[in-house]
Amino acid sequence: MSPSRGASLLFSHSRILTPAPNIHKWQLRFQSSLHQIPNAETQIYLSRSQSPYLNLSIEHHLLTKSPAESTILFLYTNSPSIIIGRNQNPWVECNLSLLRSSPLKPDLVRRRSGGGTVWHDEGNMNYSVICPTSKFDRDIHAQMVVRALRRLAVDGVWVNERHDIVMGSSVAAKPWKVSGSAYKLTRLRSVHHGTCLLNSPNLKDIGKFLRSPGKPYIKARGVDSVSSPIANVEVQNADFEDAVVKEFQQMYGHVDPVLVGEEEGDVPEIMKGLKELKSRDWIYGQTPQFHFSYPTHPSSEAFEEVGPTVSENLTPFNLSFIARNAAINSACLSQRPTSTQRTSSLGNVKVHEIEDWSQYVLPSRDGTLVDAKSRTTEEHETFVKDLNRIFGVALVG
Amino acid sequence: MASIARSLRPAATRLIASSRANTLLWRPSSFGSRAFSASPAVFAKKYTKDHEWVELSEDKKTATIGISDYAAHALGDVVYVELPTAPLEVGVGDSIGAVESVKSASDINSPITCTITSVNSLLEETPGTINKGPEDDSSAGGWVAKVEVGEVGIQDLDNLMDAAAYKKFTEE
Repeated sequence: MSPSRGASLLFSHSRILTPAPNIHKWQLRFQSSLHQIPNAETQIYLSRSQSPYLNLSIEHHLLTKSPAESTILFLYTNSPSIIIGRNQNPWVECNLSLLRSSPLKPDLVRRRSGGGTVWHDEGNMNYSVICPTSKFDRDIHAQMVVRALRRLAVDGVWVNERHDIVMGSSVAAKPWKVSGSAYKLTRLRSVHHGTCLLNSPNLKDIGKFLRSPGKPYIKARGVDSVSSPIANVEVQNADFEDAVVKEFQQMYGHVDPVLVGEEEGDVPEIMKGLKELKSRDWIYGQTPQFHFSYPTHPSSEAFEEVGPTVSENLTPFNLSFIARNAAINSACLSQRPTSTQRTSSLGNVKVHEIEDWSQYVLPSRDGTLVDAKSRTTEEHETFVKDLNRIFGVALVG
Repeated sequence: MASIARSLRPAATRLIASSRANTLLWRPSSFGSRAFSASPAVFAKKYTKDHEWVELSEDKKTATIGISDYAAHALGDVVYVELPTAPLEVGVGDSIGAVESVKSASDINSPITCTITSVNSLLEETPGTINKGPEDDSSAGGWVAKVEVGEVGIQDLDNLMDAAAYKKFTEE
């Protein structure tokens, strides 16, 4: 597939994408295409925004406001971001302090669909197909993307039993994952969206972002991610966009793609969705209930992977709590050897609002915490440092 | 199981509750046997096109809501169930929770106008319960919510399918 064919698709058929740059700009700036979603049965939108929050909000708007029988393709690429599933725990799924300290400055996003955590960047394109729930099928549009990849001479790709697209030769021990799927089903409308790693420059770093220091300490309800070896399919974004559009048109009929972008943020419903998606109450507050326990329980099945660190073996401090909607309750702070219950000020505090744990697990006001031995102060410092590390409030080098 | 419990309910109550009874049930030849063997679900248990069920209690003031066997099977293994905080007033089609299965987040919608008075917390701890017995309204079952029903809610039931119609609907 030559790049020029991609360009011809974008510029010869579409009314909105006329070659005259002034008209094009004018339309993009002043007239959102989505104030009123057209009635057409088949629609194609290509986003020129790289904001994960905006793109997901445009997608949600298309899901909730498009005609009940329409089928819509939406393609978008996001700036570096970590996208957790609807029912996941950010303290389990990613390294929050690395997110903050990385020069890539990835956004943390909770999407509305199910499934596990994925990485997005400018070398990853997302496809999204919105259709009636009555026609919902987990694989049909992943197959569409497989055909698009084959158009681009990417061979050895197929949809596996997890509805992911993988790439490999038949003799390879384990195929590489190149695309992951997730779904959201509402009463009448459903969305299947998926990633496709085209030419991400960050493959070697993705694992670091997705390794959480908090995982051994947290027993969470909700959904765990399944990690897989990943690879790029090594195609250019424009070529992929072109190929997926063509395959979609082959399935649902030829319609011209419409460009969308930042100006869609002015559509009231999209603006509302955007505000919710960006809020900490959504990103963190929607975390399914979890149980925190420090030090870890080596006996528990969930904690087998990582044993307690040396400092924890020595720590005289124990902290456990349950967090529902990220709000702490049933906090229990104690100190060995006497197992003295210590008062903490954690009740109803939201985990994501804690900027420094020392403020919340301080020695009690009567000073009893520091009376046992002289090294207690140091141990308390280690304890607090660990909590800050676990919850990603301290920067790491 | 729930179906056994239902068949033990007094026939008289059902007759009172069945002002819109299927005429077939009134055939003299079958009346006697049906009164004791047929499930009153014919009168009280209704299904939506979105695969939720609602079963009205004898006194027509409360009901239980859940997702259908068909839906539970179609969803696949449920790994998470999100439930609302009671009490909650809802209208027809309003979201009253969500389930996640096989990477899919699916809404559970209220089949009727009602007030949710309690939810099945068992589903939060062991989400798979909803796969085992989605239409089981016992304490170990996979039902979703207990609700209070007013006049509007009773009227809403008219728009829903009975078990036979729903079965036909899912086979289409």
